[in-house]
Amino acid sequence: MDIKYLSGIVPQENNLDLELSVLNNLLIYARFYGIKKNDALPRIEYLLDFMELTEKKDSKIRTLSGGMQRRLIIARALINKPKLLILDEPTTGLDPQVRQLIWDKMRQLKNDGVTILLCTHYMDEAYQLSDSLIIMHNGKKVLEGNPISLVKDNIEPWVMEVNTPDKMADTRLQGAQRIERTYSRMMIYADHIDELNQAAKGLEDRDYMLRQSNLEDLFLKTTGRNLNE
Amino acid sequence: MNSTLTVRKIKSHPPSLVSRVLSVWFRHYRVYTQNLISNGFPPFLEPLFFLAGIGLGLGRYVGLIDGTPYVIFLASGIMAPPAMFTATFECTFGTFIRLVFDKNYDGMISSSITVRDLFAGEMLFAGTKGLVFSASVLCVIYPFKLISSPLGLLAPIGGFFTGLMFAALGLFITSFVKNINHFNFYFTGVVTPMFFFSGLVFPLDSLPPYLQHTAEILPLTHSIRFFRAFCFNHFDSQFAFSCFYIIIFTAVVGILAIRRLEKRIIS
Repeated sequence: MDIKYLSGIVPQENNLDLELSVLNNLLIYARFYGIKKNDALPRIEYLLDFMELTEKKDSKIRTLSGGMQRRLIIARALINKPKLLILDEPTTGLDPQVRQLIWDKMRQLKNDGVTILLCTHYMDEAYQLSDSLIIMHNGKKVLEGNPISLVKDNIEPWVMEVNTPDKMADTRLQGAQRIERTYSRMMIYADHIDELNQAAKGLEDRDYMLRQSNLEDLFLKTTGRNLNE
Repeated sequence: MNSTLTVRKIKSHPPSLVSRVLSVWFRHYRVYTQNLISNGFPPFLEPLFFLAGIGLGLGRYVGLIDGTPYVIFLASGIMAPPAMFTATFECTFGTFIRLVFDKNYDGMISSSITVRDLFAGEMLFAGTKGLVFSASVLCVIYPFKLISSPLGLLAPIGGFFTGLMFAALGLFITSFVKNINHFNFYFTGVVTPMFFFSGLVFPLDSLPPYLQHTAEILPLTHSIRFFRAFCFNHFDSQFAFSCFYIIIFTAVVGILAIRRLEKRIIS
């Protein structure tokens, strides 16, 4: 219980009290931590401001959008000034503005010394926020480390996504380190961008995209493309 | 966390057991009183319908029961069922919805609340509702001079214990239920027969002996005896036995229920 007392949890599913207002949800939650109303009110005011929900203070939960509920749950998890914040897919199903806002707040919390444990399916989220990450597959650890060095060390730096594999002659693939094929696409990984530029000659803009490889590519490389339900 | 923080003090140790259980109680209280009119009105009306329908209508054909007019006999037990029903609904459908559909418990136990605090608070709230429901029945029947002993004014205490007891039983049932429709078995198979065979609408000694013994097993029988003792200012050894039954039943079933729910929630 001491650990629970020092941590805040943002569950995967929203579980606010739908009948109650934003303020009452937070007041009741503060009480679970034994925080008295007089101490809780300024804290709540601060957290609502932090999560940009101040004008929704007296609204019923039912009237809030998904993004607002999510922000409120994060505010709720922070009410006890946790040293450890655990988030389970905090931005799933949210629009880009809310995601960016939440990421921004997570960075702010991190800078303030809160340890954050984040569970996510979004590789860009993990890449953006984490100092250290673990890729899990079927309950086992596959890779662990800093996201930037993980990508650097474990996957070719450049990738070309080809939407029209038919137009791609095999002869032009010599510079490629690795090729992945799906039903409709081809992913060509290479150490140098020049080789891919070479391979792209003769393709139209909409046929391909050339970019740096990222954590998602690494994730797919290490865990495979098969669905793992 | 932030220099602009205005919190004066947040204690560095988790709240005490009592304050945790009360915080759960407070949560239920806040949610319940959001719809006070629709939630709080029926308990005042139901006893009137019951007394008018059964007491006056049927009572005309029933003679004295142990020297008491039927409507007075009925009134002396009528504070018990609302306490039973409110606690039962709260801790079957209510608990199940919070557990499975709304997932409120997940949110609560991720704070410093433990599963035990959660259901202790839930039982306490059901007991409180039992007390309030019994008291509201008393408010309605008292002006009709259906309660002779002034001690009858204390009878709603029985509502508190009835609420606790049926909360324990309801939670125990809920700990087995995987599909909300399964509660029908409990209501039709247990709650409804209990309503008829617990000495509320007719005295138990008019039943054949084997049914009398069965009735002694039913919790509601003991609740009703508790209320009657206060209404008639008649405290005998049977009353003492019923008090004993209520305490033991609540403790044993309550502990079993909480243990089972703890396993279910944590797994």
